[in-house]
Amino acid sequence: MNIKIVDSWLREYLDTKESAVEIAKELSLTSVSVERIEKKDNDSIYDIEVTTNRPDLMSVLGIAREAGAVLKNAKFIDLKTKTPTKSLEQFPIKITSDPKLVNRICAVVLEVEIGDSPKEIKDRLEKSDIRSLNNLIDVTNYVMREVGHPTHVFDFDLLVNKQLNIRESKKGEIVTTLDGKTHVLQGKDIVADDGNGKIIDLLGVMGTANSVVKSDTKKILFFIDNNNPINIRNTSMSLGIRSEAAILNEKGVDPALSLKALLRGIELYEKIANGKVVSEIFDFYPNKPKTVTINVSIEKINKVIGISLDPQKCIEILNNLGFRAKKQNEKIIVETPTIRPDVIMEEDVIEEIARVYGYHNLPSIIPTFLPNKVIGFANSFYYEKRIKTAFKYFGFSEVYTYSLVSESLFDGPIENALKLKNPLSNDMTYLRNSLIPSLLNVIANNKTVDELKVFEIANVYLKRQNDLPKETQMLSGIISKKHASFYEVKGVIEQILGDAGIRNLVFKKSNKSSLGASIYIDKDYLGEIEVLDTNIVDFELNFDTILNHASNTKIFKPFAKFPPVIEDLSVICTFQTQDVINEIKNQSEKIVDVTLRDTYKDSRTFHIIYQDFEKNLTKEEVSKIRENVVKHLEKVFNATIKE
Amino acid sequence: MKSFYQFDILIDMEEELIGIKNAALSFILEAEDLKSLEDTKLQFLGKSGKLTLAIKEVTKLPIEKRPAFGILANEVKQTIEEALKDKAKSLSAVKRTTLLEKIDVTNPGIKPRLGHLHLVTQAIEEISDIFEKIGFIKVRYPEVEWDYYAFEALNFPPNHPARDDWETFFVDEKESSQYGPMVLTPHTSSGQIREMTTNKPPIKILNIAKCYRRQSDVSHVPMFHQFEGLAINTDLSIANLKGVLDYFVKSYFGNDRVSRIRPYHFEFTEPSFEIDVSCGVCKGRGCKLCKEGWLEMGGAGMVHPNVLKNCGIDSNKFSGFAFGWGVERVLMMKDGIRLDDVRTIYSDRMEFLEQF
Repeated sequence: MNIKIVDSWLREYLDTKESAVEIAKELSLTSVSVERIEKKDNDSIYDIEVTTNRPDLMSVLGIAREAGAVLKNAKFIDLKTKTPTKSLEQFPIKITSDPKLVNRICAVVLEVEIGDSPKEIKDRLEKSDIRSLNNLIDVTNYVMREVGHPTHVFDFDLLVNKQLNIRESKKGEIVTTLDGKTHVLQGKDIVADDGNGKIIDLLGVMGTANSVVKSDTKKILFFIDNNNPINIRNTSMSLGIRSEAAILNEKGVDPALSLKALLRGIELYEKIANGKVVSEIFDFYPNKPKTVTINVSIEKINKVIGISLDPQKCIEILNNLGFRAKKQNEKIIVETPTIRPDVIMEEDVIEEIARVYGYHNLPSIIPTFLPNKVIGFANSFYYEKRIKTAFKYFGFSEVYTYSLVSESLFDGPIENALKLKNPLSNDMTYLRNSLIPSLLNVIANNKTVDELKVFEIANVYLKRQNDLPKETQMLSGIISKKHASFYEVKGVIEQILGDAGIRNLVFKKSNKSSLGASIYIDKDYLGEIEVLDTNIVDFELNFDTILNHASNTKIFKPFAKFPPVIEDLSVICTFQTQDVINEIKNQSEKIVDVTLRDTYKDSRTFHIIYQDFEKNLTKEEVSKIRENVVKHLEKVFNATIKE
Repeated sequence: MKSFYQFDILIDMEEELIGIKNAALSFILEAEDLKSLEDTKLQFLGKSGKLTLAIKEVTKLPIEKRPAFGILANEVKQTIEEALKDKAKSLSAVKRTTLLEKIDVTNPGIKPRLGHLHLVTQAIEEISDIFEKIGFIKVRYPEVEWDYYAFEALNFPPNHPARDDWETFFVDEKESSQYGPMVLTPHTSSGQIREMTTNKPPIKILNIAKCYRRQSDVSHVPMFHQFEGLAINTDLSIANLKGVLDYFVKSYFGNDRVSRIRPYHFEFTEPSFEIDVSCGVCKGRGCKLCKEGWLEMGGAGMVHPNVLKNCGIDSNKFSGFAFGWGVERVLMMKDGIRLDDVRTIYSDRMEFLEQF
């Protein structure tokens, strides 16, 4: 969460001669990030990012306290408030509440004169990115920015029943907030009704139109509510009201500040709205914040930070930050202030010391120890890289498509899909079970490109009963061009897997797609090549199966001492090439390789290599084997042989 | 006078050899191309070439005269062969020169088709190499996780905003009684829990994975990648974390970029840091693209004792650090890349993909 802090305002509470640039730099390195400094009318405005655990820094006073601690030459001057002299009337409104919803409520009634705020107030608010409206509203915002506690103001005369009944909202109740927008509540919002069920405030988030100050307001209820952050977050997010009050309240504001905010507000109303307090101060405080005492071992401080620090220096740092620290033997005993409920354990205290000491003052030491596991060289990441690179050099471009898909990009019945409960859009609702539809989408999005070759390696997600889905890495790709060839895709797969040490691929006519192949590594199912039409051929392979079979083992085959005999044999038959090759190979162990050399009309020419590793093959031996081959082909496949 | 006669024969035969040599050399000299040189070779050295036939005459000599003839015959043969070789060399040199004259070296080359690895893959490879050099081991963990691993064990309080459905994607499946709702990992930090519950220190891992968050704008994509480092050992300190991140920043961004760590807040680390890298555009002077000269890279911190405890690691004995940064983020922070909308990285237009 970001906040704008005006330099001149900050210096009311911070005594320092450092420049704005220097303050920003020191704060960034030791506390909160000052993202930018803007110059305006001789003043500087800090744009500060405050982390969610430090709502105490969402104010001028918070930053001043912090700067006083982290800057070398600066001192924090706290805001002094005074309680108005007693007497006065009894507090005139009946407030009922629930400690589960509110930690504290402080309120007071004032008679006021509505009007414009003085220039200095207006300027500071506007430089802080807060719109100045009128003095009554401006005070609430001024106090919020200065003290860090959201505040609210009602037109007293609109509270006809003189009753504020603070409760959880019911689902379906309707409110109109002071910006004129009507909201249907989801339930569990913190609201105040007037005793008759009419909602007159949406606590901690935004006031309602029916109780807000108007141009003729004469009497106000100045109201500081400190609420349960969880309810506030729900209300703010479900209604989409991200007011500064809501953003602060959902992080949790120190209830010890509520009264301070009230008193500061009273002072300002008196000063700029001719305010007169006309009631005693109401202070309902059921949930006082707890402070804790933490024992921090000096040895541990040094171990975590990595250097030895003087314990006295640690104590000084902590005390400057508002802690109460003292040394006791080898420990530092630390008592936390109420503004710092985030500090609860040793490590939290060490962080406070380390950051103010300055991370930039610590050495930089690369740890040289080695982990206890060894994953080896040819691991899954190695093959992923090797295979991706091979695709690249075969002309394929890698794409990253979203794992979340629309119903139409899901492959198969949508009941099988893992579905998001809270998708961001219809396009991204289901976890995909195939990459192919996404890749086809890529083709569709590149209509002007004539020839496309793309691939992707990514997970698909398969539902399992009472368990996380099975995530399987898939390797998928598409060739899209005029007359895309099944054989081109097959060849690429064979080469790339061959390069990963996989040579025993088996291609069978696919049962899945009308035209294509099912691929196996031996008997393990690997995936599919699918011929979608004359221009698109795609493939999807189980990458985990590839990894199971990939191998980096090298085996040297001794050079052949005797030359091979090479012959071509033309065969006419209706059987698949692989069947013919297998049949030829089976006839003799001296046939070491058979490949399809050529196809012409219905005739296929096979290239046969005969080799004997022990001796020279004679013509007679070869012709005997050949005769046997021919005989078998004729018998088994009813083939015609052309010599 | 047998011997005299034979002597005469030797002289004749020797003269014939010399004659053959001279004839061959003059033919070789006059050859204008490799073809006529080849003809000359056949004419003299071929199976029925002049020299071959002349040498066969050796049988006409008595045994004791044969060596002298043999020596000369060899010399002649060698001379002719060398002359042939030299001439062939000079002829082919001429040929090459003529061919070269026909090459326009400025014509385009015949390029094999080259594909492209995605920018994210290239970044992941760079990042992996850098960390592997200092002993981090790559691991992989689920993208769809239980709340327990994504939040609970990482010390997120029950009502933390990241756990509500404004920021994290929930899967519409039955909750686990033990591990809570099913989510898409909003960060790689769930891998810390997976690693520490299945492995014992010393641990030094790098987990790079897809992550998902319910956001889409110029600096957010619903699906993105993070790289997460985790180191656990007996005495790791903030100084060690600084060592690792300084090493990464110099290796990845270059020696002219510097890093700094500032206080930050994360549930699963204590202390927590945010890492900034000096802006590559303005060199740290401050410009439109950066924050007072700095670009935010991501978070890091010392592993929270509760997280160690949740994983069964004794926080009195072991400590560690972790960092998790966006792959796309560091990619966009690199000098010269000029990508200003993270969603562009996931464009599927070839016009984009083929640039890298």
